[in-house]
Amino acid sequence: MKLHEITLAVNGTRETLSVPAGMTLLELLREKLYLTGPKEGCGAGECGSCTVLLDGRPVTSCLVLAVETDGREVRTIEGEATDGQLSALQQAFIDAGAIQCGFCTPGMVMSARALLERNPHPSDDEIKEAIAGNLCRCTGYESIIAAVRLAAEGREK
Amino acid sequence: MIGTFDYVRVGSIKEGCELLAARNGGAVALAGGTDLLVSIRNTGRSPDLLVDFKDVAQLNRLVTDNDAGAMIGACVPLNVIADNTVINDRFTALAAAARSVGSYQVRNRATLGGNIANASPAADTAPALLVLGASVNVTGKDGTRKIPIDKLFTGVKKTSLRAGEVITDISLPPVGSRARSAFLKKQRVKGHDLAIINMAVSYDPDAEALRVAIGSCAVTPILLPPVNLSENEPIDELAERLNDIAQAAISPIDDIRASAVYRLGLVPVLLSDLLSVLLAPEGGAR
Ligand SMILES: Cc1cc2nc3c(=O)[nH]c(=O)nc-3n(C[C@H](O)[C@H](O)[C@H](O)COP(=O)(O)OP(=O)(O)OC[C@H]3O[C@@H](n4cnc5c(N)ncnc54)[C@H](O)[C@@H]3O)c2cc1C
Ligand code: FES
Ligand code: FES
Repeated sequence: MKLHEITLAVNGTRETLSVPAGMTLLELLREKLYLTGPKEGCGAGECGSCTVLLDGRPVTSCLVLAVETDGREVRTIEGEATDGQLSALQQAFIDAGAIQCGFCTPGMVMSARALLERNPHPSDDEIKEAIAGNLCRCTGYESIIAAVRLAAEGREK
Repeated sequence: MIGTFDYVRVGSIKEGCELLAARNGGAVALAGGTDLLVSIRNTGRSPDLLVDFKDVAQLNRLVTDNDAGAMIGACVPLNVIADNTVINDRFTALAAAARSVGSYQVRNRATLGGNIANASPAADTAPALLVLGASVNVTGKDGTRKIPIDKLFTGVKKTSLRAGEVITDISLPPVGSRARSAFLKKQRVKGHDLAIINMAVSYDPDAEALRVAIGSCAVTPILLPPVNLSENEPIDELAERLNDIAQAAISPIDDIRASAVYRLGLVPVLLSDLLSVLLAPEGGAR
């Protein structure tokens, strides 16, 4: 199968790789770069557990081809912590008890990250809208909304 | 791996159309991929080549002008349309329809051109474009032409696009200064489901024109024949009259989302909700 050489920035690091056209961004991240934060739940855009930021905007990486990201910038949950320090948003998820099994968390945090970047003080309705594409089977969402609110209330710098 | 296809990112419409023509059906246009990639994955049937148009600058333009209407490039993502102030103010039904599609993540990829080219009976932007009188500009190897939106949809996932033709932009004619429009969608779960039924209404008091379009209730989205408004007709009587016209025009089926009977029952509900949004500012009657 024909391979395409692509160069992209992942969490600030330039990566050059050869990929087949049919490989998804999610597969590239997990299987080539061993960034296993983004998860595959449905593989069809429905669950949001594979959410990453592509040029700053949240997308479901199971529906993005790796070749489509040539020349682009990708951020994953692995880019949240700096020097082993959790980001304030990650810490807020812990403090609000917003993590149970944790399967949805990497996608949930990336959707919340993008929301706080475009709207630093979201209302509860805006938080709900931003995470409507991220399914959680454990928490019932209330604690997740509380976590995003907590992060927005000044702890997030 | 989603499929065995190859991939090309094109820099111009001409380059892409030449590729589509040369591959004679083996190549298909790719925009956001939110329909195409899911369908390749689900069916296991892969085209030979995906021709990615979404980097073509012309296809990403969104130009609005009060006197000239709006021109929306086929590859403009739905979130961009949902967030555009002029589209929200003047072409409200389209902004609302764009905002109702899937989730925030999906709308960052999903494009307007892809939504209508895919031609699902449930496509949310379709009823809005129908009541706004949109036209679809297309280019193929033989040049360009304009298709009125009510001539685009021909069946379930079928359009009047010829082989190798791509949608370049969607143009919306200017709306009168007092004209307004609205869109509503009933779905089982917000953010995760196609419409059980969707509906758009546009109304221009100066032109005495009222248009209604309904999706998910026939093989294509349906634009109802235009109605003449009789003076001071109360909203509930108008809704009843429109409901009779609608019930005759649609032919919903039972599917996993809802029964045909339920859909028929939702028509008057959405109609009166939309009419009260659009007509109520004028004191209950038109
Ligand atoms: C989780 C999820 C939820 C969804 N929810 C909704 C919803 O609520 N409402 C709704 O209406 N849709 C929904 N969809 C469907 C889809 O997101 C939309 O139809 C979207 O607008 C398709 O656009 P795209 O750019 O992704 O198209 P693509 O998948 O890239 O293309 C779709 C089809 O159109 C063709 N095509 C694309 N662009 C052009 C062009 N410019 N000219 C000619 N042909 C073209 C392609 O060849 C393909 O056949 C959902 C999808 C997912 C995955
Ligand atoms: S795995 Fe991508 S949305 Fe579910
Ligand atoms: S914590 Fe388990 S799915 Fe969200």
